[in-house]
This record gives sequence, C-alpha cells and structure tokens, in this order.
Amino acid sequence: MTGGSKRWTCVEAGCSYELVAADVPSAIQGAQRHIAEAHGSFELEEMIEDVLEDVPDSAAGQTSRAARSPGKLRRG
Amino acid sequence: MATTDHQHLDPSVVAKFHFTQEMIEGPVYRKYQKAMRKFWSVEDLDFTQDARDWATIDDDQKRGLLGVTVRFLAGEQNVTSELVPMLAAAQALRRFDWTVYLSTFLMEEAKHAEFFMRWHKEVVGALEPEEVAQHFLVRGKTIDPSGRFEVRDVLHEALPYYGRRLLESTLAGTEAEIERAFVAFSAAYNAFVEGVLTMPSYEIVIDTTTSWNAFPTLRQGFKLILMDEGRHITFGTYACKLLIEKDPSYEEEVHRVFDKYRGNIVGLVEYQKAVPGLDLDKYQTMKVRHYRNRCREMGITPDDTLIEQIVDPTIDFVVGVEAG
Repeated sequence: MTGGSKRWTCVEAGCSYELVAADVPSAIQGAQRHIAEAHGSFELEEMIEDVLEDVPDSAAGQTSRAARSPGKLRRG
Repeated sequence: MATTDHQHLDPSVVAKFHFTQEMIEGPVYRKYQKAMRKFWSVEDLDFTQDARDWATIDDDQKRGLLGVTVRFLAGEQNVTSELVPMLAAAQALRRFDWTVYLSTFLMEEAKHAEFFMRWHKEVVGALEPEEVAQHFLVRGKTIDPSGRFEVRDVLHEALPYYGRRLLESTLAGTEAEIERAFVAFSAAYNAFVEGVLTMPSYEIVIDTTTSWNAFPTLRQGFKLILMDEGRHITFGTYACKLLIEKDPSYEEEVHRVFDKYRGNIVGLVEYQKAVPGLDLDKYQTMKVRHYRNRCREMGITPDDTLIEQIVDPTIDFVVGVEAG
C-alpha cells in the first residue's frame, strides 16, 4: 500500500458506509468510530488496516473534506 | 559494509542467511515488530477486584460467565498446542518472516492460556482439570430444531484434522500440497475459529463485565488478548491471500472449511447464550461483518448462502434439550 488517501468500507450486514481519510491512522480512527457508533461493536486495528484501499488522487480530491476530517463519514 | 561484487560467494553459504530489505519492510515482519512492541505480561495483572466481584454475583451469573471463560481456557490451550504444523510449514516453504512472526504468535497463545488459568485460579478457585471441566458446557445438547445444521466442536476436531494434514504435507508433500494444506489449516484456525466464530464471544464478555460494572481484569485481559488476535487473524488471512494469488484453486479450500462447519456460525452456540440479559441478535449479526472481512483480507468471494443463513432469524439453536 502506498501513502496518501485511504478508503474503508463497512461490511456489517445491511450497512454500506464508506469513508475516505487522509492517511492510515485517520482511516483506522474513523472506521473504529463508525463501528462503535453505528453497530455498538468494535473493529481491530489490523483488520481495518489490511483492507484499506488506495484512493486515486482525483477521487481523493473529490472527498477532501472527509480526508481532512477523519471522523466524518459518508454513505457509500 | 556493502559490496556489489557477489560472484565469489558460495551459494550454500548465502543460503544460511534469510533477512532481506524487502522482508523487513514487509507486512508479516511488521507484525512481528508490533508484537514485540506491544508485549504484555499476565504477571502485571491484578486479580484482586475480580475475586471480590466473584463473591457478589449470583449462581446464574456465575454459570453464564464460566460457560464462556472455561471455553476460552480450553480453547487457548488447544490453539497453543495445535499451532506447531503452521511453524513447520513456514520453514518448509522457506518463509523466514512467517517463522519469525509465528514465534510471537505461539508465545502469545501460551500467554492467553496462562491468563485464563490464572483468572480461574485466582478468582474462581479452580485450576485442576477436574475442577474446571465441570463448568464446560457440553456441546452434545446444542441442536438445530430444523435438523438442517449440525453443531460440531471445531476447535477440538477441525484444528487437529487440518493440522495433521498440514504436517503430513510438510514432511512428505510437494510445495503445492504444503501450500494447499496451509490454506485449509489457516482457514480453519485463523479465519473460522479466531476470525469469525470467537469474535462475538470476546464482545459478550466485554459487554457483560461492562454492564455488571465488575471483573475489570477479565475485561482488561480480553482487550489485551484481542490486540494479539488481530495480528494472528490477519497474518493467517494475509498468508492465504498470497498463496491464493499464486494458485487461485486454493480458494476452494477456504470455502470447504466454512461449508463443513457452517453449523457453528449460522447460530449462537450454548456458551454464547449462557450469560443472561444480553442482546443476542447483535452477536449473531456481527458474524456477517467478520466473515466478509476475512474474505476481503484473503481476496476471495464470500459465500452468500452462508451470509443469508447467519442473518436468518428462523435459524436458532436450542440449548440443553435432547434432539427429537
């Protein structure tokens, strides 16, 4: 995985939340917050990190607000 | 000291050394480094408050909590003993970074077993096999009333079976046979048992001790163990991903394991239902996320029929009655 923006998608039953964050730590933090708030559960750091996807620069630009604010999630 | 003139080197001498720049920057070696950084010791934990809390809860609560903790006590001892084939296979496949990481994996499983041994000894006053075994909830009376699914003892049945197959392949098989057996073993150990079946049980204990405002060290221990398990699970799924990328036909091994033992995850089993007052739907539904995550980590396609069955409310096991 390269540096730059990361995408994480929730795969809980019936959920399609997706977040784009500026870096790996922000993506982990945002994913863990989503799992806690939306599903009353938790997700381990490695399990988030291992499935993060690199976001092309053009796509990252389109979600720059989320990238600067890792806590903000958007529906996929 | 670096040199680019390697022509005079004896290849058999070079083969004695395994570290490379690529390896130490790779994901498996990073897990080893993280394991070393995050090391914790059971000796640093204080069980005093948990022992006080044990004296205050009623018999139903004791039975429910012990149903889970005794299962973990047995399970952690079993996964410690059953990991050896994976280590042998890593060596045979010349994956030194896997071997290095697995040294921490094995130590951590032994430590988890130690944690549960100490908790039962210090808090419950039970240590000897005859003392703890009386609290083990027997699987034979957990049934699916529809008769469609069989609930098996994956930990004590599947792991020895796939472990023996992996060991036999390691000793006498081709590289492809070792790889195929590795995927099957890892699918059973890391993906199925650690990565899907057991995940709700961690949350059951953490939620229970939080809602009771009791057993802080049991809760702390579960959280520490989970940190280790995150590395174990994703090591196994990453190894599977690499091998499946090499030969996509290995994917069928993963589906075979999940299909063979699907009865254990389409419903909650007896020890997961033992604690009174929990929202059991939450623990059942989360298995979809864990299953999809394991498939995503391995780079394989989830079995939609399994997902449908996990969330099917008509599939609900009955505990404590005889079939028929």
